Amino acid sequence: MRLSLRPGEVIDRSRPLRFTWNGHDYPAFLGDTISSALAASGERVMSRSFKYSRPRGVLTADSLDPGCIVQVGDEPNVRASHRRVEDGMIASPQNVWPSLRFDVKVANRAVSRFLSAGFYYKTFMKPQRLWPAYEAVLKRFASGGVISNRPAAGYFDKRYAHPDVVVAGGGPAGMSAAVAAAEAGAQVMLVESEHELGGHLRWGGAHELSVLAELKAAVSATNSIEVLIDSVVAGRYDGNFLAILQRSLPGVTERLIKARAKTLIVAPGLIERPYVFAGNDLPGVMLSGAARRLINLWAVKPGTRAVVFTANSSGDAAAQDLEGAGVEVCCVEDARRGGDVVRASGSATLQSVECGDGRTYQCDLLVTATGWTAPTSLLNMAGDKPTYDERAARFFPCSLPEDVLATGGITGDGSLEQILEHAAHTGRLAAGRANVAGGRLRKGVPHAAPTDSPVAEEQSNAITALPVDAHVALFRGRTHGFVDFSEDVSSKELEAAVAEGYSSIELAKRYTTATMGSAQGKLEVVNAVAVVAAATESTITETGTTVWRPPYAPITLGALAGRTLEPVRYSPMQSWHEARGATPLVAGAWIRPDHYGNPTAEVRNVRSNVGLIDVTPLGKFDLRGPDAAKLLSQLYVNKWAKLAVGSVRYGVMCAEDGVVLDDGVTGRLSDDNYLMTATSSGADTLLEWAESWLQTEHPEWRVHITPMTSDFASINVAGPKSRTLLERLVENVDLSAEAFPYMRVRRGRVAGVEDCLMWRIGFTGELSFELHVPSSYGLHVWESLMEQGADLGIAPFGIEAQRILRLEKGHLIVGQDTDGLTRAYSAELDWAIKLDKEDFSGKPELSWQAERSDWPKLVGLRPEDVTVVPPEASQIVHDGAIAGRITSSRMSPTLGRPICLGLVAPHLAEPGTELSIVLPAGVRARAVVTEHLAHFDPEGQRLRG
Amino acid sequence: MARPAAVARSPIPAFGSTDVVAGWEVSQTSRTSQGATLELIDCMPLTKVLVRGAASGAVADLLKTPFGRASRTLSGVLTTACRPEEWTLYAVPGSAPRLIDKVTKRVPAGELVTLLDITHGRTLVRLTGSRGPDVLCKLCGIDLSDAVTPTGAALRTSVARLTVELVRDDRNGVCSYLMSCDRSYGDYFFGALLDAGTEFAIEPQGFVLPGI
Repeated sequence: MRLSLRPGEVIDRSRPLRFTWNGHDYPAFLGDTISSALAASGERVMSRSFKYSRPRGVLTADSLDPGCIVQVGDEPNVRASHRRVEDGMIASPQNVWPSLRFDVKVANRAVSRFLSAGFYYKTFMKPQRLWPAYEAVLKRFASGGVISNRPAAGYFDKRYAHPDVVVAGGGPAGMSAAVAAAEAGAQVMLVESEHELGGHLRWGGAHELSVLAELKAAVSATNSIEVLIDSVVAGRYDGNFLAILQRSLPGVTERLIKARAKTLIVAPGLIERPYVFAGNDLPGVMLSGAARRLINLWAVKPGTRAVVFTANSSGDAAAQDLEGAGVEVCCVEDARRGGDVVRASGSATLQSVECGDGRTYQCDLLVTATGWTAPTSLLNMAGDKPTYDERAARFFPCSLPEDVLATGGITGDGSLEQILEHAAHTGRLAAGRANVAGGRLRKGVPHAAPTDSPVAEEQSNAITALPVDAHVALFRGRTHGFVDFSEDVSSKELEAAVAEGYSSIELAKRYTTATMGSAQGKLEVVNAVAVVAAATESTITETGTTVWRPPYAPITLGALAGRTLEPVRYSPMQSWHEARGATPLVAGAWIRPDHYGNPTAEVRNVRSNVGLIDVTPLGKFDLRGPDAAKLLSQLYVNKWAKLAVGSVRYGVMCAEDGVVLDDGVTGRLSDDNYLMTATSSGADTLLEWAESWLQTEHPEWRVHITPMTSDFASINVAGPKSRTLLERLVENVDLSAEAFPYMRVRRGRVAGVEDCLMWRIGFTGELSFELHVPSSYGLHVWESLMEQGADLGIAPFGIEAQRILRLEKGHLIVGQDTDGLTRAYSAELDWAIKLDKEDFSGKPELSWQAERSDWPKLVGLRPEDVTVVPPEASQIVHDGAIAGRITSSRMSPTLGRPICLGLVAPHLAEPGTELSIVLPAGVRARAVVTEHLAHFDPEGQRLRG
Repeated sequence: MARPAAVARSPIPAFGSTDVVAGWEVSQTSRTSQGATLELIDCMPLTKVLVRGAASGAVADLLKTPFGRASRTLSGVLTTACRPEEWTLYAVPGSAPRLIDKVTKRVPAGELVTLLDITHGRTLVRLTGSRGPDVLCKLCGIDLSDAVTPTGAALRTSVARLTVELVRDDRNGVCSYLMSCDRSYGDYFFGALLDAGTEFAIEPQGFVLPGI
């Protein structure tokens, strides 16, 4: 039932809404939560419990409410006491079948005595073969709602923040601390989990509402406070790195803020603790905070006839609020005077309450106010181990690091004014500490000129502690009831767990799953500890608590994933490739054209006409300095000292273990300037490798190595007509074979573009020129080549065609024809290795390898069956043992037969040796070792043409 | 038939109609009369010259820009020092040869100095507007407050998971960042910045001379 206007209500009565619950239409007002709107319509059962399918309703009326977890649209596990109603929203109970009113799992109650902790572990272990059947049935009983198979819609965001002070908790203490910190000069982030600031002031009386208005005005007037509502500090990590989850943003579904706070103030207030007794989970039994919130925030009358069981001022205030709302309070059972409640009874909802002295009251509402739990999670994450105060019957912070402070109810009691003053002092102290930390940080910021700004001095730490009030220690009454409402764990089950030997609170937690449900222990942990302590005849201090770990509140996978940031690299010719329908190949971050529709035709065209391939991703480095040749000699196994200006040379690079690391060609552009290339995938490694040698082994060498990969658009022009084509576009360079022979480099003007480098090299085995042109002109040069080559039969070719072409020529690819164990001699690179050099990377290992003969060798292989291409990585077997593997294989369009490279045992590497290759499905194919790695033009006449 | 004149192109795809400015194809600017409050400009045409030399050498004396800072020490040239013993000079389009020559003449023979025109190898964008830090904090973990990253700060850091040279270079008192990354990431980088800036009404803009 909806009450008349309340002074602190958050609903907008001028904005009526409609939503659907359980298939029926319900009214609400803007500002209503799902559960408040349902309660206003008289609904009391909002879910069925996890294990026993017991009806559950409002218990806390906030985000922790374990009885109000519902499905909204295709979103499961929505907290109905926190999620606000939207017009047209479709909400439904979850984990019920066939309906909320009648759920077949209620049958579990009949066998509840067998469903104690460990039931599933013990029952479904054997026989193992029946597990699939068990699983199918158990799935029907699993809770958690229904998740959509579609990707979550909406914008999940992330951002970083570096506030001076983060205040976790926007209640009176948090607001006061934030204002004080901001007034002291700090940039403050104030984080509140509810939809509005104010904490318990919001459902308080006139004085509380007046103070709230003042605090809100102060926060609003302070520019340096960033207020985050419907947000939560989910975790605190080293260095005050905080994970803050922010919701209720326009256009953003959820945002994960990664904040590096100089100081953290923890001001979460206190969480009201349920009382454990028989029937404590019946709809109609709720905490005093829930009753007050329903009445004062949403103007909902929570019942008609009530019993109030109180041990503190919150319960007293609830009794007053109930009476003020027209609820008949038939009994105020005061625990401070020895009162107790032992049983709540009813079928689907509360019907009667039995007090400790046997009095029984017919009622539909029982409000309990039996104590508080200090939500110390963030403090635990900061290394604190809170201590239990028997007098106050709750835990308190103990020892906090310098950059974490606590204030408000978590640290003590006292009047509202005392709390505000304590918080203000804490805020100022936090600002001071942040200023000191910031000063240290600013000291490290480079300035145009040296500065001697002093680092701020830390202010006094002295804050008068809040008083601590005595409180009756109430955890479990004389009867057993539920400790964990989320997981359906009773005090009886906890005692049984202890009896079975799980006497440690950490073991009992895991065995029973108490504190592991949706409330994450915030409602249950102290009661669980108390029950275990009683069962083990020890104190709460001796029993200790479970460990609170991040996240403090549930985080969606969407928030963790955030926006997709997957860097991709494109060549300057990417738009041309896309326009011609090139099939993309993902090569690391690079997107490259794999082929343009027919790689076989592309190969044939290169062999007969002229083709273009975009090789921009090729690693390129500028080497400059008088010791550049020394660096090259150190990195490569071959010699570099006598490389003439205008020449290029192929080089092989090994790691210190002699394993082939990378290869490429390097051209000498002037006396002390080289352009070095590396494989596309090895470019980053090469730079690190070279810098490692320069910075750690030879810092005396005077050479700079600078990555230039993206400075040049690289285009390989390959084919017998490539010279003819280039002669139409190149100026100032004689392209004849005599003037510009194989393995030479020239600089010239191509298609009107200055400073283009041209290399005569031939990875494809054809006459070819590799052009490196300033990247911004790459597309211009490419288009010019295509235009000028039209009558020569020019066509682009992709990576697949290039791989076939190089395999026909027997050119190895590092990483394809070698692996992490392949030393240079195994890769048939004997000709390049110069052991007579003074030193080079890998020389000791290669010297050792040269003395042995038991290493595998890379060979060319010619399969006998001209129709079958053995897949790459196929095993090569000999005499029943594995003798090698195929490293590369393709059908050669040029030769009309399959061609392969393979690594084989040394005794099988002689040309003419017959080998057996294991094909898929175990079929064997025969192949013969060829004389050369090259299957086509082994003498290299074409590429030297 | 005469070949078309070589036109330089940015890795950032043109948005809207294009024009040719200083030999570069650029997107035409679409500023409203009041001007956008948050704009992202493709500054690819600007000259970029990499200078490497000893921190205690003649180049350091000439450029007068310590590590971590940016300044305008040569006329019309923005000098940034995002890495030790390395500077990047930003200047009007087409000025690389003149700039390299100018520095080369001031370097004594025998001093190891590398001067490279990296104009075509680096994507360069400028983000200007008071909400600039709000955009960047979605992509970059650096503290962008005035106290830590004031105008004139230059650093190499991760932005949108890329290695980016980030220079705070305020314009007329308005917060502005010049950012450069490897050219090949240009399309991705520009897109990531636009995406992050959508909630702040970011507007892409074309390059306008002098641009620095």
